Amino acid sequence: MTGTGVALVVDDSRVNRLVLVRLLSGLDLEVMEAENGAEALELLRATPSAFDVVLLDVLMPELDGYATLEAIKADEAVRHVPVLVVSGVEELDSVVRCIELGAADYLTKPINPRVLQARVSASLSAKHLRDLELEYLEQQRTLTATIERQKTELSRFLSPQISSLISSPEGERLLSGHRRQITVAFCDLRGFTSFAEQADPEEMLAVLGEYHGMIGGAILDHGGTLEHFAGDGVMVFFNDPVEQDDHVERAVRMAVDMRTQFAVLEAGWRKRGYELGFGVGIAVGYATLGRIGFEGRYDYGAIGNVVILASRLSSQATANQILISQRAAGMVEDVVDVESVGELQIKGLSRPVSASNVLVLR
Amino acid sequence: MSETDAPILDESVLSNLSSSVDDDRSFVVELIETFLADGPDQLSAIDAARTHDDAEALVRPAHTLKSSSATVGAMRLSATARELEMAGRGGALGEGIDGGIARLRADWQASVDALRAWMAGPGR
Repeated sequence: MTGTGVALVVDDSRVNRLVLVRLLSGLDLEVMEAENGAEALELLRATPSAFDVVLLDVLMPELDGYATLEAIKADEAVRHVPVLVVSGVEELDSVVRCIELGAADYLTKPINPRVLQARVSASLSAKHLRDLELEYLEQQRTLTATIERQKTELSRFLSPQISSLISSPEGERLLSGHRRQITVAFCDLRGFTSFAEQADPEEMLAVLGEYHGMIGGAILDHGGTLEHFAGDGVMVFFNDPVEQDDHVERAVRMAVDMRTQFAVLEAGWRKRGYELGFGVGIAVGYATLGRIGFEGRYDYGAIGNVVILASRLSSQATANQILISQRAAGMVEDVVDVESVGELQIKGLSRPVSASNVLVLR
Repeated sequence: MSETDAPILDESVLSNLSSSVDDDRSFVVELIETFLADGPDQLSAIDAARTHDDAEALVRPAHTLKSSSATVGAMRLSATARELEMAGRGGALGEGIDGGIARLRADWQASVDALRAWMAGPGR
């Protein structure tokens, strides 16, 4: 059987309506009647969700079956209600036209009760499926909107590369840990600790705000992945999660850009009496990258000697120096001029390390 | 227009109808009464269409009469109504139209008598 539902019978003949209403009531359906298409549309539009199936006569006064069907299918609110066209046996041409206009099925007069039951049941099942599908689509829409909102929020807290990595198909594999050659750049301010001791907290935050704004713009411009920042110290890496063939060059260009822009900021700060300098350390090498931390607070991070080396080079850099490891310098010798600063004794590394200062881009 | 040899009343239509509503004879009677009450409206509409020589206006009442009479088993009336509907769809009411309408009236009267007799009968 069909279960319950509401059918709308549209026929100008009272005799035909009586038969249909009686037979449909026998199918556990509640039945409403309309004498012509105009009345039917009025009923449908008043409560679009109330109807589960429409049985529509073709030849009627006021608004005939075709026009009614067209109006139903053109109306977003009611177009989902299946329409069964009821017509005489010799009107098969009109049936074809009705199916083309969007009718779900047809019935011929005189009505055969068993055929009526089968066709109505089929239409009600289709309608039920369609309703479930709409409900599902609505849930999907809500879900998608939520995910999009989360992505937007996420991208404000994370590097764009990392927030897009999280939602990418290969995200899980990359997050769970992988090894790759990367270029790491550390930057921090010279004289920041003593500045922080003297300055008001508001002044310090204002200076940090300008500094981070400049740094952030340069990282974005050169496609770096911001690993973290802590006070004045910032760690950026390249070639992960997005692969970049020119990762060393990108790091160097970013650092030179930062140094140029820092000079402008520094001039302003100097007028306010602040003595601050900018230093960068850059190294290239293999690291393990992925999710680092604990349940509840993870970062996307890099672990390896290359990180330590870049960090130490940054500590050794004097104001306006960009110290670059020998290996990294070798990979960008075509694009920059460097000067050797000799061998540096690096804490934690047994052997001294050769490094250079980046002078200018060629 | 040719005369039809369809039966005035096909009682099997009424008995099938009855069995499809769990042998509810009162429903079948109600249906017949409705048919008898509404039929004259369609007959007058057909007459009016003839008077105005309006082929298009003849189609709908003839169509309605065709299908409602078939529902109650008045097959000869239904066949004649169908002929008139077709004539109307043809766009012009030809010479045979008056003869057709006269036969329709005669078929109508015969159907009324047969249906009343059926209702007065013992049922099935």
